[in-house]
Amino acid sequence: MPLRQSLLVAVTVACAVAGQARAQSAGQWHGPEDTYEKICRYCHDTGVGPALKGRRLQPAYITTTVRAGRNGMPAFRPSEISNSELLALGQWLERAASAGKP
Amino acid sequence: MVDQVLPEGVTAAQFEQALQEFRRILGREFVLAGLDETVSYRKVMIAVPEMDMAPSGALLPQTVEQIQSILKVCNQYRIAVWTISTGKNFGYGSAAPATRGQMVLDLRRMNKIIEVDPVLGTALVEPGVTYRQLRDYLDERGYKFWIDVPSPSAIVGPVGNTLERGVGYTPYGDHFMMSCGMEVVLADGQVLRTGMGGVSGSGSWQCFKWGYGPYLDGIFTQSNFGVVTKLGFWLMPAPPLFKPFAVRYANTSDLSRIVETLRPLRIAGLVPGGGIIQSPLYEIAMSNRRHDIYDGPGAIPADIIAREAKKLGLSMWNLYAGIYGGTEEQLTANWNILHAAFKASGGIIELEEDMSPVARKLFQRPKELMRGGLTLEEFSMYNFRGGGGSMWFAPVAPAKGEEATRQTAMASEILHKYSFDYVCGWVVGWRELHHIIDLLFDRSDPQEMQRAYQCFDELVTTFAKAGYGIYRTNTAFMNKVAETFGPAQRDINRRIKRALDPNGILAPGKSGIHI
Repeated sequence: MPLRQSLLVAVTVACAVAGQARAQSAGQWHGPEDTYEKICRYCHDTGVGPALKGRRLQPAYITTTVRAGRNGMPAFRPSEISNSELLALGQWLERAASAGKP
Repeated sequence: MVDQVLPEGVTAAQFEQALQEFRRILGREFVLAGLDETVSYRKVMIAVPEMDMAPSGALLPQTVEQIQSILKVCNQYRIAVWTISTGKNFGYGSAAPATRGQMVLDLRRMNKIIEVDPVLGTALVEPGVTYRQLRDYLDERGYKFWIDVPSPSAIVGPVGNTLERGVGYTPYGDHFMMSCGMEVVLADGQVLRTGMGGVSGSGSWQCFKWGYGPYLDGIFTQSNFGVVTKLGFWLMPAPPLFKPFAVRYANTSDLSRIVETLRPLRIAGLVPGGGIIQSPLYEIAMSNRRHDIYDGPGAIPADIIAREAKKLGLSMWNLYAGIYGGTEEQLTANWNILHAAFKASGGIIELEEDMSPVARKLFQRPKELMRGGLTLEEFSMYNFRGGGGSMWFAPVAPAKGEEATRQTAMASEILHKYSFDYVCGWVVGWRELHHIIDLLFDRSDPQEMQRAYQCFDELVTTFAKAGYGIYRTNTAFMNKVAETFGPAQRDINRRIKRALDPNGILAPGKSGIHI
């Protein structure tokens, strides 16, 4: 079920656009690095899930996988990470250098 | 494919009206509807098609008042809500409702740590608080308390896990036992504070569980009688000393003597924490892809399990436990008692420094969990078979050797009959054992999914016939498991349900309870 990527980019001006997930999490994340440190790295820096850094993964791919989950990876909901936070996470990951092998 | 799942008995027009009302209460961005917006709520690991449990939408309140207003609309339109907090519940149904067409009431945004009393060691939190958030809160303030986590630790939270009566691995591992006081929104919007929370101005809400009159907290766990919006619980003071250890036993038949050795130590409080007795396949599964160690038909044969266990420095049963002390003298006295008991039972006792490098690496996970540390490494187990299928089968056994042996034989036989592996850990309670088995299967293979469903069904049936009930189950088997607890329990649950929620708007089907 692909999310509507093009709309996600426009999330800050999304109020008038119907039919997309715009929900905001409760403001607990202090930027993408913080989200990664408190959620993602428990699996993706330990070999439980694949390494994400240094692979130039597309933000759209990150968004789709985070929202839908994949195999053993759970889905993360808009109440946990908002669309704009998720987009920022994807953009940060795309640039992030490899952490090396766990 | 339809792009929207309607609540049962509600027309598209009525649903749209209800959505308008919900948007008025929450704001547009906190009301999700349609398949695109609810994709995250459909991801499940259990052996049923996702669409069977697809929600109609999701509501994301941030206040008690918003929940009260939502329930008013739900009563008006007869729309059911399925409440989640952090919504992970791996292998038990994840965030999806028990039946198609409910709206998920997602409380993740209610994530305030309302109070931690550093003198009494108590906490009061909202449902969206995660263990990581609580850990950070305590550390930032320099509060020397441990938390107690279930295996998914960092990314899940104390309210959801306690309400599911989940368990962890420190001496505070029975989460509901360590809970103290709740705030609950009832279906008619009334807000109830249980126990001492009923007394105006009371400072005892989080320090005395029982209050006055009937103790009600239990009826809001594993139930659909209300929406819990705050939960109090106790925090364990960080002990100055912690000594984790492993005891390994060479034969599968040693299980009985392990339980017989451990029970008196546990009841006497000499082993104060849960402790875990694991089959080697638990950690083999965390360390391998299944096809790399076995590519034949059926379950993995015993000789291959033994071979792979050896490579990892494991034996046929591996007990992980810890002791906690204020002084070296106290710890040494306890250790000497335990050491003698485990040695006499034929176990090989290992401290971390005694282990091979590979065994030491594996030991980090139970060691962390036994001090409330945050690690998700257990879930590399989900790569073992692949395909994202998991259902936890979790019967309870009296803490007696022959009972554990009997359950292991029964579970292995049924799992093997369906070509699944026996991946098991026993979590040791005071007088009982939680026998936690992960039925791992490839969810991307429809036939295997069907087989997993049938296998789980047979496990429930066979164990119930033998007198074994299950402590917690996934959303697909809630009715069936409720049946095994007999007609009187089903009846009283239904009578309470009808009294508190006459329109049946709260989580129909939860624990098999319907109006």
